[in-house]
Amino acid sequence: MEQLTSSLAPPRSNNKSNVAGTPQPAAGSVAKRLSSELMTLMMSSSPGISAFPRNDGNLFDWVGTIEGPAGTIYAGLTFRISIAFPPNYPYVAPTIKFETPCYHPNVDINSGAICLDILQDKWSAVYSVQTILISLQSLLGEPNNASPLNPDAASLWDSPEAFKTQITKHYRPLKDESA
Amino acid sequence: MARNGLRYQVATKWQDSFRRFNQREPGISGLIAFSQAWDVATEFLKPRNINEPLPPRQYTQAVRAALDVIHKSKRLPTLIETFLSQVESLFYLIQQEVDQFMIEYTADLDVGIISKMVYRVHEWMKEWTPATELGAAFQSVYINFFQTHLFSILPESFSSAFKDLIASTLAPEEEGEALKQDHQIWSTFDALGFIDRFESLIASVGYEHIERHVLETCTGQWGEPMLTPTRDWMTAKIVPWMIHVYGRNITSTEEARAMLAGVGSRFDFHMAKTLCDLRTREIFDIIIDFPDSEGALKDLKECLQRVDQRAALVQSLRQAHRKRLLHPGADTKLILSQYVATIKCLRIVDPPGVLLFKVADPIRRYLRDRPDTIRSIVANLVGDDDSGDALVDETEPPRPLQAAEIEDYSDPNWEPEPIDAGPDFRANKPSDIISTLVSIYDSKDFFVKELQILLAQRLLAAGDDQSDKVEKERRNIEILKIRFGEAALQVCEVMLKDMTDSKRIDQHIQSQQASVIHPAIISKHFWPALESSEILMPGQLKELQDQYTAEFTKFKPDKRLRWLTHLGTVDVELEFEDRVVEALVSPLEAAVIELFSEQSEWTLDDIAKRVGLSQPNILSKAVNTWLDLGVLASAGEGIYRVLEVSAGKGAEAKDHVHRPTTVEVEMPPVVSVQQQQAEQMRVYWKFIEGMLTNLGALPLDRIQTMLKFAPGYDRTITQLAGFMEAARREDLVTVRDGMWKLNK
Repeated sequence: MEQLTSSLAPPRSNNKSNVAGTPQPAAGSVAKRLSSELMTLMMSSSPGISAFPRNDGNLFDWVGTIEGPAGTIYAGLTFRISIAFPPNYPYVAPTIKFETPCYHPNVDINSGAICLDILQDKWSAVYSVQTILISLQSLLGEPNNASPLNPDAASLWDSPEAFKTQITKHYRPLKDESA
Repeated sequence: MARNGLRYQVATKWQDSFRRFNQREPGISGLIAFSQAWDVATEFLKPRNINEPLPPRQYTQAVRAALDVIHKSKRLPTLIETFLSQVESLFYLIQQEVDQFMIEYTADLDVGIISKMVYRVHEWMKEWTPATELGAAFQSVYINFFQTHLFSILPESFSSAFKDLIASTLAPEEEGEALKQDHQIWSTFDALGFIDRFESLIASVGYEHIERHVLETCTGQWGEPMLTPTRDWMTAKIVPWMIHVYGRNITSTEEARAMLAGVGSRFDFHMAKTLCDLRTREIFDIIIDFPDSEGALKDLKECLQRVDQRAALVQSLRQAHRKRLLHPGADTKLILSQYVATIKCLRIVDPPGVLLFKVADPIRRYLRDRPDTIRSIVANLVGDDDSGDALVDETEPPRPLQAAEIEDYSDPNWEPEPIDAGPDFRANKPSDIISTLVSIYDSKDFFVKELQILLAQRLLAAGDDQSDKVEKERRNIEILKIRFGEAALQVCEVMLKDMTDSKRIDQHIQSQQASVIHPAIISKHFWPALESSEILMPGQLKELQDQYTAEFTKFKPDKRLRWLTHLGTVDVELEFEDRVVEALVSPLEAAVIELFSEQSEWTLDDIAKRVGLSQPNILSKAVNTWLDLGVLASAGEGIYRVLEVSAGKGAEAKDHVHRPTTVEVEMPPVVSVQQQQAEQMRVYWKFIEGMLTNLGALPLDRIQTMLKFAPGYDRTITQLAGFMEAARREDLVTVRDGMWKLNK
């Protein structure tokens, strides 16, 4: 009996380890790295996260969307974020802000700034847009209450009822505006 | 006053005339002498009816004296005039005869009558000709006058009759006698002035004769060049005739040569043109017959140099192609081979390639629109063509593909483009056929992709006796590498390596644990997309698979086997109570029969569930195989049972015992280029989804411009619109006021 089989290339589409599969940036071509990241992101079907360049002319300015993970207090809510890539990306982390007001211990409710280690001192060139988005999504459910940007939220975290009220108070649903 | 003046004038004139006639003779004796001389002269010259018996004219002393007198009185011109008016008054005699002859001719259509008529008219003319002693001027005036009158009385029908007569002089006749006779009639024609008057008519007879001969001898004769034999024929037949017509006054060879250079080259041109027109009409079939029609092509080449018919040739060929080749009824392979033949033929006719460029353009454009062109070319490249009618000459050494060359002006042999080359003419150096075919498309990537698919099919279909076929494929790829370059065929290289590797891996695994499975292990990344299958193998087949997988994982821990169960073949041996059935079947068929070893009766639905196959038609096909082999029998609607005991058809069943049935193994389903395009569109859909998620509703043109982030996106906005419309029908998106939005 003869059978034909295909052996897969080493697995590389797992969510967390995907960084390893991201192509190295070609010398001097950040845009190339970004477009290949876009391709990877589009083709991976990670639920609840997505991002896309804001304009066709500029690859360095993206808009992202994160859905609150099911089973967390943010379930059912969708947050829009902005991602600005520096010219020396990926050696420097992109600047990420919540555009939708997000009541969260590690998010500044006014400016939308985020306190996440991999976006600051723990940044590494092997991270990608996809890993950032996944990290942010998990941050929603598991805040780091030790270093809060929003102390009120941090203190309120243990009382879900009150916390939920605060979230709903600040939350504004997305509008389908044309960018 | 006036009256007196007039009277004086008349008187002077009268005196003048009188003195002239009277020759200063006394009285009117001079006048009488003149009058007598006039009578003698006019009587001598008087045209006579040749039908009446006449005494021969005699140029006597008296006549000479009379003419002398008239000459002295300066009355010769008047004498001529009188003579001519007499001729005119008698011309009705000739006219009567001519009319008579013409009536006879119209009844009989015998050119002999016309020639008789010509001779007769000539007799009249000779009869009336004034004696040479009267001087050349007198004669030429007469001839002129006679000819003019003759032409005026000839009826309209004469020219066609005359044409027939001329043609009869060209008709194949006995030599010798005919020639002498010819000579006589031509000199008669000349005397009557017919040759000058009917020159174009005579020439047209010559042309028509040449035309007829060319059409008779050359039509359909493409094997040998016909130009030289035809020229020989012209020398033998037409030139002697021409000498009659044009060479009457030729005395020296010098003159003869001059005549042939003028008239002869005109006839030669006509011959070349006729042949050229003929070949132009036949060109399509000549190309079909190539290389047996090389002679005709050489003729055509030579004729085209003489006659400017290149445009006509291009037009005729293009029209023939449009009518006979470039339509849906023609097979792509056929079009390709005709194209290749056209290339070869036109290279003979026109080495610089201008004609080819003009003719090839529509074919290339048409081929570009055909979906299976690439496949046909590639199949031919790798020698997959069953017809054995390879486009490529085996003896032609493979060469790298040539890009359109930039003109090298430092080349000492450089030649300017031919005069009729269009502005977009690219000097197509006589490169090899494959380069030309590949250049139909802008990029050779298409070919490489198609080659990959074809190779995949052939490798997977190679079956058990692989090594030979794999070797053959390797050789093919090596040859193609020379053409397409090493880098382009890297993928094919990997595919071939997979085949040898899987053999090695298989050997290793067999040594660890013998298995009946011998898989071909392919690297997904480098093979064209293969249709995946959802068939689940039941029973012992599943166990075999799992065992193999386990061994494989031990051997190559970093790799994972994914079975493409639907490909390949299974050699099964089925033992029944009364017989053994052997068969080579597809895996699905094996899976179906395996189920029946669990229980002897299954419904189609249950089988489908167990093998995980949702398409009922494929499944019933598999079941039918077993029905045909007499292994299963239908037991009601959609229910099948095993026939442990053969169903009575002993003889037939026995057949199966000994003869392993080969089930036709179909070509492995490799995803075609079209399917790959659909696959690509799926990628683009991801991008569209991504942008609509993050940017909200977008108009179509924004989507189009944003899609440039997707690698290789090359659709037009119209195609995109069609795609979005399809997505809307599937409720994936909604559109309002031209803004597209994801349907959540």
